[in-house]
Amino acid sequence: MIYYFASIVVLILFAPILLSYMKATKMVLLFKRPISLMQGYRDFSKLMQKETIISEESSAISRWAPFLVLSPLIVIMFFLPPVVKGAYYVSFVDAFTITGLISLSTFFLMLLGLDSASAFGGMGSSRESFIAALVEPAMVLTIFSVSLMAGDLGVGQAGVNLAEHFPKEHMASFLFAGISFFILLIAENGRIPVDNPETHLELTMVHEAMILDLTGVYLAIIESAASIKFVIFASLFASLFLPFGYELAAPLAIAVFILKLFLIATAVAFLEVNTAKLRLFKVPNLLGLAIVFAFLSLITFYVLGA
Amino acid sequence: MFVFDTLSLVFVGLILLGSVPNLFYSFGYLPHIERKLHYQLHYFAFIFSMLGVVISANALVFLFFWELMSLTSWQLILTEVKEKSTINAAKFYFIMTHFGFLFLLLFFLIVTNGDLEMGFAQMKAVASVFAYPTLLFFFLILGFLSKAGAVPLHVWLPYAHPAAPSPVSALMSGVMLKVAIYGLFRFLFDVLYPWPLEWGIVILSLGALSSLVGVLYALSEHDIKALLANHSIENIGIILIGFGMGMIFDTLGLHTLSTFAFMAALFHTFNHMSFKSLLFMGAGSVLHQTHTKNMEKYGGLIKAMPLTAFTFLIAAISISALPPSNGFLSEWMIFQSMLSSSHIDNISLKLAIPFAIFALAMTGGLAIACFVKAYGIVFLGLHRSSNAKHAHEVNFLMKSGMVFMSLVVLSLMLFTPFYFTWFDKVFVDLGRVSIYVKIFPDGLWHMHSVGINGGIVSPIILLGALLGVTLLMAFAYRVFGIRTRVHNSWACGYKTSAKTQYTATGFAGPIRRFFSWLYRPHETIEKQTIAGHATKFTNSSYEVHVKPLFETLFYDSVAKAVGLMSYWVYRLSHFEQTRYAAMIFNMMLTVLFSYRVFAHDFSWATFVLEFLVMLVSIKILIIGDKK
Repeated sequence: MIYYFASIVVLILFAPILLSYMKATKMVLLFKRPISLMQGYRDFSKLMQKETIISEESSAISRWAPFLVLSPLIVIMFFLPPVVKGAYYVSFVDAFTITGLISLSTFFLMLLGLDSASAFGGMGSSRESFIAALVEPAMVLTIFSVSLMAGDLGVGQAGVNLAEHFPKEHMASFLFAGISFFILLIAENGRIPVDNPETHLELTMVHEAMILDLTGVYLAIIESAASIKFVIFASLFASLFLPFGYELAAPLAIAVFILKLFLIATAVAFLEVNTAKLRLFKVPNLLGLAIVFAFLSLITFYVLGA
Repeated sequence: MFVFDTLSLVFVGLILLGSVPNLFYSFGYLPHIERKLHYQLHYFAFIFSMLGVVISANALVFLFFWELMSLTSWQLILTEVKEKSTINAAKFYFIMTHFGFLFLLLFFLIVTNGDLEMGFAQMKAVASVFAYPTLLFFFLILGFLSKAGAVPLHVWLPYAHPAAPSPVSALMSGVMLKVAIYGLFRFLFDVLYPWPLEWGIVILSLGALSSLVGVLYALSEHDIKALLANHSIENIGIILIGFGMGMIFDTLGLHTLSTFAFMAALFHTFNHMSFKSLLFMGAGSVLHQTHTKNMEKYGGLIKAMPLTAFTFLIAAISISALPPSNGFLSEWMIFQSMLSSSHIDNISLKLAIPFAIFALAMTGGLAIACFVKAYGIVFLGLHRSSNAKHAHEVNFLMKSGMVFMSLVVLSLMLFTPFYFTWFDKVFVDLGRVSIYVKIFPDGLWHMHSVGINGGIVSPIILLGALLGVTLLMAFAYRVFGIRTRVHNSWACGYKTSAKTQYTATGFAGPIRRFFSWLYRPHETIEKQTIAGHATKFTNSSYEVHVKPLFETLFYDSVAKAVGLMSYWVYRLSHFEQTRYAAMIFNMMLTVLFSYRVFAHDFSWATFVLEFLVMLVSIKILIIGDKK
């Protein structure tokens, strides 16, 4: 039980570091002087001290939506697979609930974008809804495939099963699912090539456009929601698709897990530096790729295994 | 004459849950209606006839109430005739509903051997010796699905439902469609029981297609009620996916899974009744205040109509299948039953079901997009027209109708186990094994999937957790006393106005563009450019219209074919007498030849020869020379 709560707290606290690390890596690769890993906390504390400005045009949705964006993500943190062997975990919550909670968070984020009556917010919401609609099927199919391989629909249990008896005979299917999930990780977290988290140019932004009217505490909440969402996806990827290191002794297992998170962050950073952002109407091609890989994963599982 | 088994009672419950809050709403709406007596007479007869359909025990009574239901709802559409389109919608509805009725009548005439007073139980014996059960199945689905609005018999629905007064739209979309689902349950179980595998696959494919088509056309709508009507097509599709999975599992002998999938379909039937009624009531209130159905004229209504906005939000979350709402629970069950398809041995079927999963997941994603659009454009932002500016909250009766309906939505989420005891009894009555204990093995908190290694969901815990975390944060925000200032939205230094907001058309733009192969949008752009510049203009207008593909494909082409045929018949009727004689001669020739060709001995040589003789005689004797 102590590991359970500790891992939730640690992961939430760790989230801003991961995003700062990604940014720093990108800066190093671009021969810039990198920002400190603590930058996420600095931004957070700065925003917390500011006053909140609420748009005159907005309604009660703007006052409540930031909380409702963050709270489903915090609830998901309780359902992630365990990091350490023998730790308590919620075994039963299945992937539909998790994707559903993520959608709930996105739903309120999109409403938030439309609430302030600015053109940017609507634009962001419109684009986000387009991307989210295409992410959904790929997500469900990938999860289906992974849960078949792991032999359990519960995400926590699936993580443990994969770590304990890795299904070597389904390696091909596993790899396809991994590729699909990685594309989804990029798309859901608004990284290049789907969305550029650093831009404030109306032609390219998606996530930033929706939150353009937020300041102060609300912005801090939304920023932490973004970082927590990345941690959720990264740790799902680490537990489901890099299922090693779980059986080691507790401190070592935690170290390995954190290393895995950094590895994923590094991979995303390298990808971001090496690709250009896609035009919005090219994004479906990338997501279509994810859907195709998810189908391939299922088909290879059925045809070769079963 | 009447039957009160659990299936009937459950649907009686559904109709009552759907119509009692509607009564309040309807009485609140009544001052708005001019022909009050006409409206009330048909309104009560409509509810009464729906109750009659689900408790009738023989074919004659069933058909009587079915027809009464169709006719009263048809008259209700015609309550407020302000535009010609209303009359056209009513006409379309009238034709489609009798198209379905025709097939139901055929079905009953066959399965009752012509004795329409026969009970349902005896029909099974007749049906089981009938040589072509698939024909009966097709009569049945043509009859019921044309009422339920599944693709390709859905085209009337987005016209008819919005044309009715709002309480009636809520009843038609929320309750009447479910009566058709009742028909499917009743006659597939009671009359046509052992189903071949193909039937299940047909229902599943129709469901998958309906759900995608429904949500895609909903996205392209800017008429709020037509948007909701298109969503009915989507949800009927989802129900049919569950139903089809149930039939497939049943044929393959996986009875527990089959009952689970049927329960999912039944649960979604209830859920759709609740949230769709609520959405139509909300849309009706908005319409009542703004006097327009066009979404582009709304905006900012949450400030003037907070209660409507709040109940609409509950329904929107539920219909988008977001946890922990009831819509999520039933969609979760349908997903779970589809994921259990890995137990199927038939490899080609197993490989096909992921496509249905894909369709359902895509539908879910698009439904979220659609309801962000509906909610965001209608209730959020600034007023887009003076109609929206002068809106205020509706009267007490209408409000109480919406509140009661949102209580029904919430009860379906919070008291799921209670509803499931009844659903379980339905299937026990239909000769299945009870699976209630498998769904709720450890108390009321967790809902289990019955598949091996199935998932578990716990709606109440999720709701508690979400509310807890949210309220904790809101509390902390209050306690820390964070300074708050109200200021204009940032619009790059310009003033924010209603014109700078995103429109409903713009919001659906990316999706419309991506699916343009389906929509084939008809776009018109008008610009008054300055001095011939392409990019500088004083004012411009952009309009886009999407005509449903199915309508142009099937209905318009049928209309064209009928037109062509009637043209030829018309030409025939203006012949002189010698030609009529020639036609009779040709007819006799045809009969003789076809008898020889098909019934006697067939050879291609004589066939071609006789065909040529026929052609020549038609050309010379009937058509004659061109004038």
